[in-house]
Amino acid sequence: MLDSIKELCALPGPSGREEAVRAYIRKQVSAHADEIIEDTMGNLLVFKKGGRSPSGPLMFAAHMDEVGVIITSIEDDGYLKFDFIGGVDRRVVLGKRVFIGENMIPGVIGVNAVHLTTPEERNKIPKLRELSIDIGAGSREEAEKHVKLGDAGVFEPSITELGNGFLKAKALDDRVGCAVMLRLIRDTLPVDTWFAFTAQEEVGCRGAAVAAFRIKPSVSIVLEGTTAADLPSQKGGDKVCIPGKGPVIPFMDNGTVYDRKLFEELTKLAETNGIPWQTKTYISGGTDASAIQKSGEGARVAAISAAVRYIHSPSSVVFLNDIAGIYRLARLYMETL
Amino acid sequence: MELIKTISELSSLPAPSGFEDLAADRIHEMMASCMNEVWRDTMGNVIGVKRSRKAGAKKLLLDAHMDEVGIIITGNEEGFLKFQPLGSLDPRNLPGSEVVLMTDPPMSGVIACLPPHVLSAEEKEKVIQVKDLCIDAGLSDREASEQIPPGTPGVFKSGFFRLGENQFSGKAFDNRVCVAVMLDALSKLKDRELDVELYAMASSQEELGTRGATTGAFSIEPDYCVAIDVTFGKTPGSPKTGTYKLGGGPTIGIGPNINMKLYNRLVELCENNSIPYQIEVMAGQSGTNAWPIQISRGGVATAILSVPLKYMHSPIETFAVSDAQAASDILVKLLENWEYPAEQI
Repeated sequence: MLDSIKELCALPGPSGREEAVRAYIRKQVSAHADEIIEDTMGNLLVFKKGGRSPSGPLMFAAHMDEVGVIITSIEDDGYLKFDFIGGVDRRVVLGKRVFIGENMIPGVIGVNAVHLTTPEERNKIPKLRELSIDIGAGSREEAEKHVKLGDAGVFEPSITELGNGFLKAKALDDRVGCAVMLRLIRDTLPVDTWFAFTAQEEVGCRGAAVAAFRIKPSVSIVLEGTTAADLPSQKGGDKVCIPGKGPVIPFMDNGTVYDRKLFEELTKLAETNGIPWQTKTYISGGTDASAIQKSGEGARVAAISAAVRYIHSPSSVVFLNDIAGIYRLARLYMETL
Repeated sequence: MELIKTISELSSLPAPSGFEDLAADRIHEMMASCMNEVWRDTMGNVIGVKRSRKAGAKKLLLDAHMDEVGIIITGNEEGFLKFQPLGSLDPRNLPGSEVVLMTDPPMSGVIACLPPHVLSAEEKEKVIQVKDLCIDAGLSDREASEQIPPGTPGVFKSGFFRLGENQFSGKAFDNRVCVAVMLDALSKLKDRELDVELYAMASSQEELGTRGATTGAFSIEPDYCVAIDVTFGKTPGSPKTGTYKLGGGPTIGIGPNINMKLYNRLVELCENNSIPYQIEVMAGQSGTNAWPIQISRGGVATAILSVPLKYMHSPIETFAVSDAQAASDILVKLLENWEYPAEQI
């Protein structure tokens, strides 16, 4: 799955502009799928028959989109004003490169040189309206040759294997989930399964709401990248979850109280099969499950996630073996239906 | 010698202040092909000389510091590396940045940051100081202690990207752009006979306080020196004075740190040869190697030639190729047309 994750993370897919990721996934699944639907939101819904029909539809979900930037204005001096797509702490974009539009035009987001700033200025994070993207254009006319209003951009796709079994990349949230689903789709499945590659999760789980309405799952399992905060400054439960300790099976986050029975089934499956697992020890974040649970007359939801450090930054980090654990647990669950 | 290619190659080398070997070795090779003799001194400076056709010729030194800002590891906490800066860094550029740790072989690291989901609105407004930052190299504390011990230096990891039509973005352009400018001028003068004894120095540890240049100038004993460094490129929100437009030409310094006759000579050469330039007023400390060099031994006539650079000391430093090329052209013209008898300066 490592190559798949690297290829997926390299693609640009800010919320609402998931074309490149969707096209890649479509290509990967077409030989294995029994049905492929692309809906108005841009979700890619893939159905594959298995050994038997489950009592109610089973739907896995992983979102294709990532956080990014969107161009709000092209200034006279050729610099671009922008806003964020999804929840981005503006501190992590300072001194970084972004790539804009389908042509991946490089731009940089900088602060004034350290020598030109006072200690007071260096103690303040510039407001969003004070930041600009510099694409090296000397004028509005020059900038307009390369970008237009509403173009969306992503962080630099610098993908590096790190230390002992870790991977650093942008968009691990949630290309790791997409990679696990691609792997599952290639298997001979024990039960008929829907795989929803959703759009626009980062701006409010919006693709998932539409996907769940169409598919009406009884059970839906979301495969996500979730917030690891295991830095030395965070103590005990504030670490939330830790890369290397296995797949994360949350009982609750800010969007969902996960189905208790599913939580217990999954954790028991992990224990019985020697898969180390952990839960989120701090209630934070949310997943597509929040939309899926409330869709139609309701669905039972669970999540199996990878602990991802520096999520929503250019340099998120995951422990590769945790992702293998997610795949194994998902398969084991399917076999119980 | 293709200027862009040289800048790309030299800026990719990890060589922070005090640990310049990788850059020094390559610069040594490149200098050797256009000078009579090249050597390294105790401070790690790379110095070359091109002998003059004139007996008893005066000595002119071109200086460009080869060190870049970086980091140095001081320990680790739960496997996350603690560090301090080499040279001055704005901590705001650090969270989420990728670094290269200069182990053998080199290892990657990420400067850690907390996810926005667990932070309050007030916390997201705070600048995290270097002492509270740490680097994730994907290692346990035992692995980190063994593989990345205290004293390991590191640099920003950064690619080399064209921005727009004339600009490039990357790390270490302060000051590898100017080292490349100096080497470009040297290669163009390779087959010329000069009226001065030409010294070229790629100096060390400028970012820690112009240290290499101090001892280098002492040993060379130049009569004249042109220090080539970067200056501040204009960006939105930068101060109106003291910043220079990319593409407006390199800057020629004027002020107490600059010899007026050398200044006039440089301006005259630009005017006569239609080379674009900007004037940079430096009221006192120039922040360049010219500051210690000017008062070395019995004194040196110094000038400062600079390439405007946006986002100095960040992983996304940006300059305009035309400014770098013009800087090299000015140096070539200065040396080819050395008309000043020693008495005049």
